[in-house]
Parts: sequence; structure tokens; C-alpha cells
Amino acid sequence: MARLNMSQIDELKDLMEEAFADLVETYISDCEEKITRLRDAIEASDAPLSAEISHSLKGSSANICAEDLSELFKAIEDQARQDTLSQIPQPFSDVQDEYQRVKGALQNLL
Amino acid sequence: MVDVPLNILIADDNKSDRLILAAIVKKMGHKVCVAEDGVQAVAQYHSEKPDIILLDVMMPNMNGQEAALKIKSSAGEDMVPIIFLTSLQDATDLAKCLDSGGDDFLTKPYNKIILQAKINAFSRMSKMHYTLQQQRDLISDHNEHMVHEQEVAKAVYDNVTHAGCLNLPNIKHMLSPFSVFNGDVLLAARKPSGSMHILLGDFTGHGLPAAIGAMPLAEIFYGMTAKGFLMDDILREINSKLKKILPIGYFCCVCMVNLSFRKQQIEVWMGGLPDFYLLRHDTGQVEKLASTHLPLGVLSSQGFDSKTQRFSLRRNDRLFMWSDGIIESRNDQGDLFGETRLMDIFNGNQDQDHLFDDIVNTVNGFTGESGKDDDTTLLEVKMVPEADVGEVDIDMSRGMITGPTDWNMRYTLRGDTLKTFNPLPVMLGILSDVPALHGLSGQLYTLMAELFSNAFEHGVLGLSSDLKKDAKGFAEYYAQRELAMKSMGDGQVMFEFDHQPTKAGGLLTLTVTDSGDGFDYVGKQANQFSEAGYSGRGIPLIVSICDSLEYLGQGNIVKVTLSWSAKGLEE
Repeated sequence: MARLNMSQIDELKDLMEEAFADLVETYISDCEEKITRLRDAIEASDAPLSAEISHSLKGSSANICAEDLSELFKAIEDQARQDTLSQIPQPFSDVQDEYQRVKGALQNLL
Repeated sequence: MVDVPLNILIADDNKSDRLILAAIVKKMGHKVCVAEDGVQAVAQYHSEKPDIILLDVMMPNMNGQEAALKIKSSAGEDMVPIIFLTSLQDATDLAKCLDSGGDDFLTKPYNKIILQAKINAFSRMSKMHYTLQQQRDLISDHNEHMVHEQEVAKAVYDNVTHAGCLNLPNIKHMLSPFSVFNGDVLLAARKPSGSMHILLGDFTGHGLPAAIGAMPLAEIFYGMTAKGFLMDDILREINSKLKKILPIGYFCCVCMVNLSFRKQQIEVWMGGLPDFYLLRHDTGQVEKLASTHLPLGVLSSQGFDSKTQRFSLRRNDRLFMWSDGIIESRNDQGDLFGETRLMDIFNGNQDQDHLFDDIVNTVNGFTGESGKDDDTTLLEVKMVPEADVGEVDIDMSRGMITGPTDWNMRYTLRGDTLKTFNPLPVMLGILSDVPALHGLSGQLYTLMAELFSNAFEHGVLGLSSDLKKDAKGFAEYYAQRELAMKSMGDGQVMFEFDHQPTKAGGLLTLTVTDSGDGFDYVGKQANQFSEAGYSGRGIPLIVSICDSLEYLGQGNIVKVTLSWSAKGLEE
């Protein structure tokens, strides 16, 4: 597992060409909005909504090659689906920290 | 890049995922349309008609599985491959995707190579499905076209083969073809003499190849019967025609019957058909008639034998004829109906009027749902008084008054020709050129037939007419006739026709002279030959047709006159 799977991200850059920057921008703005909504949902103990948002973040993070971050969202989704939000292994701030690091790494590639 | 770009719908609520997918698909050279949820995906399916759909499973408003169900149900028989996009890992969840109408799935993170391979595979499958649909529609069109052609051909065929008198009250029939065309043929026509010709034929095989031979057969049958030809001539003509036109191994099993209402007898020629039953009205007994010849279209003209069997039929005696489709019909166990079951129907019958329906119902009940595998034909002919079947319907469509009216002709038949040749059609043909006489051809045929048979059999051969009083004598008469024909030396019959115009119309005088010894007619003539013994010569019948009858010479010359009036014809 890695913050960014570098060989995959090279392929992605090849694929996207000049649209890669656009992809990164889109991912970042999407994540920021969803992470805020996810935090609110967890605080409100809304398991179904938490599962839906973390599922979406898990998928898009995997696609952008952010493997560690995708795993963190997966852990939240798994707990949310079992309606055991209180047992999420890491504190939510860990997720936010990892996201900031991914964001920085992605922006470095531009 | 691909040869033919496809239109691919990407439905995913996640914008960054859509961007990546769109980039992969566009790189392959395809066109892309996008939807952000299930509702949009269904709408895009209807407006953009995509070739392949990439559908995210978890989407707001309507999830991917619901959207897939809707799309698949509106697609009908068109193939729209749906590839589910999912980060689901659980096997049951993945299986659920396929159950809801998905054709495949692609897991996140997306792998460019796998997605390309899947799109290519479904593109090939779609193309194959489209080709299959096109070819199916083409075959269906061709088939429709062919059925239409067959229906038109069938109409022509029916006009030719169904021109007869099967609707007469003494006939019951059932024709049940295996396909559009019937390889069985059933023909009936009245002769100018008032008698009736009936022909049941079963061509090799069934459907169009079998039916096509029925066209010339029917043409010959109807044409020659109307012209007054005898069974012998008609069968020979049909045989040589079929021999000429049918491929080797194809032939027509035939039974032809000449039914004479006046003589109350039938003359039968049978080749290749199963036994027919003759049901005696009084006793309820069944006599079997068996084929004694090969089918028509097998032998050359030289080898062809037109020998017939004669049976006397009393009023209400019935003849049952069928094609082998009846006896060889099968039930769902594959058992044959067989002759025993057929005979059982006759034995168990209580009411002869219902026998025909009993046979039809029993055979249908036997075959049941198993369906038939051959043409089946059934015919019942009953001996009735001639009045029951009415007058012979002669075509009067030609003009009335024109044509030859002032002429004389002699026609003499000698030696072997006298024995073997039937001169009636030729003479009737010449008389029919007078349009008014054409309308009388039934009576004229009877008249000439009686006069010719008197002149030949009683005159030249010297046979006594007394013999023909009962059935036993009938057989004796024909036996003597055979003998006399063999020993006959020189002999001749001369017909002299004289036609003159009259004020009202015309007058036909026919004089028949034979080389025989004649008979003592003086005295008999005064009382119109009504005494017993002369009825055998058909004289009352002749008198009823013509205006005058006169014997001359030693009784070997007979002269009849027949006048016609144009006015009478016009009415």
C-alpha cells in the first residue's frame, strides 16, 4: 500500500494527458465537499449516509491511485454498513491528515 | 482506434471517475455521453441510443440495478450490453448485478486494458447480434414473400383443379392437404351424355412438387370429358403426359370412375391406390375393389393397359374412395390407422348416411394432436336417379346464330378402327361448330352414342339386345361382345350428317347405315318401338331427343332428324 501508487499514476497521466490537471482539481473539490459531509454524518451517527459517502470516496480515491486513503474510507464504510460507527479504528482526523498529504502529492505532480 | 466508433454511455455519480472512464473510452475512438444518476441514465438511453452502457451500481435517485432493469425491458430484442462499475467485492453483490440485467462488471480502480478488452468483446457480440437479427428478418421477409407467391399460385391451381362438379348432391368429399398445396387431387365432371367422370389421384410426395402434376392432369380430365372422350382415351392421354413430364420415380396413383346414372353401372380403372369399398344399400355388405394397374406416369404408351372393371350399382349403393393418407395416418404412439380400423367403422355403422362423417371423425380422433404427415382425401359417391344431379351444364358463352348451317358430311368407320376407335368426340366437335348445336351437345352425344352402339353391336356384330334385361345377362352380353369382336371380319358403320338452314333456325338429319343384316322393323315402327325388347336399343331415349326416327332398308339404316329454332335459343 502506498500514498500514491506511482506506476499507476504514471499510466493515469499518460491516459489523461492535459486533462490530468482537471482530473486532480475535480477530485480535490469533490473530496473536500464529501469529507465535510462525511464528518457531519458520522457525528450525527447517520450510518446509511456515512456508508454512501465513504463508498463513493473509497472508489474515487482508488481511481486516483490513493491506496492508503481508499483503505481508510473502506474501514469507515465497513463499520457504517454494520451500523457500528463508534468502532471506526482511526480517529477522523487521521483521514483528514491523509487526505491533505494525498492532495499535496497530487498537486506536486502538476 | 476502432473501425466503427460506438456510442458509449457512462453513468457514474462521481465526477472524477467519469473523467477517467471518458478518457479511456475516447482514447479507443468511441463517442461518449454521460449521466450522473440512474434517472439520467435511463433518459440518456432513450435519447442517445448508446451501443454499450457503463453503469455505476451505487448512485443517488435511482441506483444502477434499477436503471439496468428499466433499460433492458425497453430494449426488447435489441442487444444493449451493460457493464456495471463497482467497488463491491462481495461475490453475492457482484452476482446480483448480473441478475438485474447486467452483462459484466468492472471493479475500481479502473484498469484501462481490461475495460478496452470488455468493450471490444461486447462490440463484437453486438455486431453478431445485429447480423443475426438482420438475417432473421431477411429470412422472415423471404418466407412471407414465398408464402404469398404460393397463395397466388394456389389460386391458379384451384381454378384449374376445382372446376368440376364435386358439389353435386350425390358426392361427399374431404380434401385435407398436409401443406398449402395438395398432392392429392379429386376431380369430377359430367360427360355430355349425362354420366359422370370421377378421378382421385395421389401424387408421389406432398406439397408443391406433388401438386404441380395435378395441373395438366386436371386440364386433360376436364377438357376431354367435356368433349365426350371415354375413360380409356383420357387415361391414356394422362398417362403419356405424366410419363413425359414427371421425373423418374414420381408418378400418380389414380382411380378413375365412369358413373352412368342411366345404366346404373360404374366402370373403374385403379392403379396403385388402396382397396376401395362398395357399400350395397340393401344388404349393408361391403365389396372391395382392388387396384389392378400400375400408377399413371410409370408405363410407356405401348405398355399401358386401360382395361376397366364394371360393376352394376343400384340406387343408393355407395362407392368409398380414399388416398393412402387415411389408412397410413398415425396416432401419437406412431401406430398406423390401418385397414382393420377402417373396416370396423363399416361393420359398426347403423346409418349409411352418417358413414362418411363417421370415417372422418374416427380418423381425426385417432390422429388427435399428433398432426398429420401426408395429404388425406376421402370421397363418397352415391348412385342416384339422374334427375337428382340435374342437366349437364354446357358452356353457352359462344355466339348463337353464326357458324356453318348448310353442309353435308359422311364419316365411315371400317374394320379395326370400328372396333377400337371412338368417333363420338370428333363428330361432336364438328356438330358443335354450329353454335345452336353446341348447346345441345349433351343430347347429341347421347343420340350418337346410342345410334353408334346399335349400329355396331346389334348391326355389325349382330348381338341381341334381349340379353341386357338383367345383371346376369349384362355380363353375358359383354362376354359375347368380346367374342364377336374377335371373330368380326369386314364391317362398317357410316354416319351421314346433313344440316340445312330453316326459317326458324336449322334442321339436322343424321343417317346411320351399318353393314349388318338389319331387323324386322315394320309394324314396330307404328307403335314407336315401345314393346319390350326394343328398350335394349335405347330407342325410347332416342325418340325423346329427336323430332323423328325412321328405319329404312332392311333395318340397317336409321334416320333421325332434329330441328332447332333460333328464337327458342334466345329465350
